[in-house]
Amino acid sequence: MLARTLEVEGIATTSISLVREHTEKVKPPRALWVPFPFGHALGRPDDAALQHRVLRAALELLSASAGPVLRDFPDDAEGSDQPPAPVQASTIAPATDVPRDVAMETTQMRRYHERWLETSGGRTACGLTGIPVTRFRGVVRFLEEFADGGDADMTERSADVPLPNFVRYCADDLKALYYEGHLAMKSAAGGEEIARWFWGETAAGQLLRRVRNRLDASDDPRWKAAAFGVAR
Amino acid sequence: MPRLDRLSQIARNNLLTFPAQVNETAPFVRLPKPLEGCRLAIVTTAGLHVRGDRPFAPGDQTYRAIPSDTPAVDIVQSHTSIGFDRVPMLRDVNISFPIDRLRELVARGEVGGLGSRSYSFMGAQREAARIERETGPEVARLLRDEGVDVALITPT
Repeated sequence: MLARTLEVEGIATTSISLVREHTEKVKPPRALWVPFPFGHALGRPDDAALQHRVLRAALELLSASAGPVLRDFPDDAEGSDQPPAPVQASTIAPATDVPRDVAMETTQMRRYHERWLETSGGRTACGLTGIPVTRFRGVVRFLEEFADGGDADMTERSADVPLPNFVRYCADDLKALYYEGHLAMKSAAGGEEIARWFWGETAAGQLLRRVRNRLDASDDPRWKAAAFGVAR
Repeated sequence: MPRLDRLSQIARNNLLTFPAQVNETAPFVRLPKPLEGCRLAIVTTAGLHVRGDRPFAPGDQTYRAIPSDTPAVDIVQSHTSIGFDRVPMLRDVNISFPIDRLRELVARGEVGGLGSRSYSFMGAQREAARIERETGPEVARLLRDEGVDVALITPT
């Protein structure tokens, strides 16, 4: 859709498509359908050769003289790839011995996260709330109070950010801390393995299940949408 | 993404009920010159932005500009749908925002150059009238002003 809008304005476009069935309907001017899982648009992370091949295949479509053009990237998904769509919390049973103290666990996770920052050159997905990782215990306290049904809020929330959106940013920042911390422990871990660990074995995972339940219990569609984004 | 028949029933239904626009034809601009002489910019729907920029909200139809020399460490993603695996993006921003790969193609002379800025929209839009009418054309004008001939559109 965006490609069509730009093309109408005179910019030639070429798109990477993940859902072929949608692309067939929308008909962007030029699109390369790729067989990779959601979240892997260019193939595989840190695989520059594959990413170059995907890019060249997408750019090659620019030589077409008429459109729409929809071409399939010739590779197929490989057995070692992640599942086509991520495993969700509702399909992962929590272990019987999950820790209960989220704040303490978060503090421990920060040590791993510091290692992540050393290896990633400081790159982190944390930051949607604007609250530094050093103050995530406060984020945890806020989420716990919210999950318990309290009238919770944080002074860091701007007045123009609705509460359910802020809750979602808090949940995303907390997930990022854990996911990146896990990658520091096991650099080869994939999304499925980390999701099973997070939702099955961490106190934070269980807290986010409760946050999701409170959001989902609301009749307000914005709260329900936020719940759908935290866990499903 | 593997074809729909390889997905779980829930994921498949989620996609099949997604309100995709239906079109019969496509607008089409022929490339004005060989790619080796064109300037290219990324326009992504991965909900990326420079750290400190206002995060996207679900359904947000605004856009963010990302200067092309922004280091990867300063790029964050607020499109965090749990419908996709976030780990590849944690490892390598090029998985949705192939800025390093494009720089390499420019260095090899396969692409003429990069625009001064990339642009980013929120993904998974169920309603995109404002993008079509207002913010999309605005980005196209900015791209033209920046001498860009080609936009590479990338999803999450």
